Amino acid sequence: MTLLLGALTIGLLLAMLAFGVYLSFRIFNFPDITAEGSFTLGASVCAVLLLAGCEPLLATGAGFLAGFVAGALTGLLHTRFSINGLLSGILVMTALYSVNLHVMGKSNVPLMSVRTLLTDMEQLAGFLAQGAPTVQLGPWEVSTRDLAALGGGFALVCIVGFALHWFFRTNLGTAMRATGDNAQMIRALGVNTDRVLILGLALSNGLIALSGALLAQYQGFADVQMGIGMVVWGLASVIIGEALVGTATLGFLITGAVMGSVLFRLLVAVALRWGLDPNDLKIVTALFVFLALVGPRWMRKLRAPRASAAEGAR
Amino acid sequence: MLELRDVRRTFHPSTPNEVRALQGVSIDLQPGSFLIIIGTNGSGKSTLLNAVAGTFFVDSGTIRLAGHDITRWPEHRRAALIGRVFQNPFSGTAPNMTIAENLALAARRGQPRGFGPALDRRVRQEFRDRIRTLNMGLEDRLDNAIGSLSGGQRQALTLLMATWRKPDLLLLDEHTAALDPKSADQVIRLTDELIRRDRLTTLMVTHSMQQAVNLGDRIVMMHRGQILHDLQGPDRSRARPEDLLSRFEQVRRREQMDANVAALLQRSYV
Repeated sequence: MTLLLGALTIGLLLAMLAFGVYLSFRIFNFPDITAEGSFTLGASVCAVLLLAGCEPLLATGAGFLAGFVAGALTGLLHTRFSINGLLSGILVMTALYSVNLHVMGKSNVPLMSVRTLLTDMEQLAGFLAQGAPTVQLGPWEVSTRDLAALGGGFALVCIVGFALHWFFRTNLGTAMRATGDNAQMIRALGVNTDRVLILGLALSNGLIALSGALLAQYQGFADVQMGIGMVVWGLASVIIGEALVGTATLGFLITGAVMGSVLFRLLVAVALRWGLDPNDLKIVTALFVFLALVGPRWMRKLRAPRASAAEGAR
Repeated sequence: MLELRDVRRTFHPSTPNEVRALQGVSIDLQPGSFLIIIGTNGSGKSTLLNAVAGTFFVDSGTIRLAGHDITRWPEHRRAALIGRVFQNPFSGTAPNMTIAENLALAARRGQPRGFGPALDRRVRQEFRDRIRTLNMGLEDRLDNAIGSLSGGQRQALTLLMATWRKPDLLLLDEHTAALDPKSADQVIRLTDELIRRDRLTTLMVTHSMQQAVNLGDRIVMMHRGQILHDLQGPDRSRARPEDLLSRFEQVRRREQMDANVAALLQRSYV
């Protein structure tokens, strides 16, 4: 049960990553690799501030802001200096590796015995459960602490999800979606598409850094390596979400990203439980995204010759 | 209203692909006038429109519109003054967004875009009433993606979007060229109606001589990046499609003659 709750919680925290990846890859069609650096950046900035005794909510917000700046930088490189989008992201990501080491001062910062959002949530849950270490949830006996983390994650995802849903329907958010859909058109309607792209990438990386900050607090440490493979991870979540609920409306897309993230984390937890070598996790993730991208095309090809043969027979 | 002074633009200068697209074009357009630009392929008529819209900056010359010198204004800034419809029906709308969202984007052309909601009940009712006048049955499909519409429907909507806030200048770039004859007819009727109703200052590029003589109050014929003929007033009212075609034929003959004369001279002198 603890394993399941843990996977659910991490899935929820990584849903912010899925939002960010969705924003850059799907809305702008911009392959933004900055994420790998900004995820760690959010975690390291947050961790260092927490160690300094900063209010957890503020430290988490600072993580978001750090990612926001990193994303804006990538956007700036791409628009002002016309550097290829992928390369802009790679440049910032590479630079961020050094930045992260400097922020943390070493490659790993443990957050043991430090006040974090997690300990705050646990305290709140302990208060609500009147100090009971476990709570009866239907047929299951669940640890209050696990439940606290899950509840906190769920609340945060709801807040961020609703905020995004609101933002994308404002005038600015609509213009942002249009920039990804048809830049020529929205320029002809008076929108500075460069500026919108910078803002969009900033927001995307802010969300990804937020995800990193939350994960660091949940797992109790920030590590300079923790961002590796996060773009593919986020993509996998987005793809699963789209397959699950479709892309009909904004609400579906956002819910889909959350569900995709949770489901993917659950799948990974199950695979690890069944004896998947943790070292193989990244290659399995990459293979999964590869199949999800290519699979539909193969299916069409497999179907197409038969369809044309049938027409020929007629 | 619109004032072009000796506008020049060369693409890929000093390379084998050099194209002198605009070679000193000057035009004065009075408020409320409707100018039609015709010309051979590659004559620079679409380039002229793009130069006004700000797709690129001109090499020299000045462009003034509605009292502003917009020569160095970026495209999105000019959009506050200019409404545009493109040749490709796919260019003027965001295909994955709904009809209502596209209209909402157009309703704020050139306005600051903040955190106000793009759509609300009142705005949607306004959109519905307005597109009912198109008689295309789109008023019940406000929440459908634009990508599901036909080219003609898209162009009609783009036209509505370009003129939603009255523009100081309307640019139409062969906006019926990619449509079937029936849709083209429909879009042209709508164009005429909108321009008359709001007395819009308009610059329209077309390859249809019929459209050129039926619409507008002035015809400019371009060739090789320059203005060859400028028909206004009585000349314009007398113009028939055949006259325009014969002028094209003259240009073509002269073009051929250049080559023939060169061949002749070569034989005699080289």
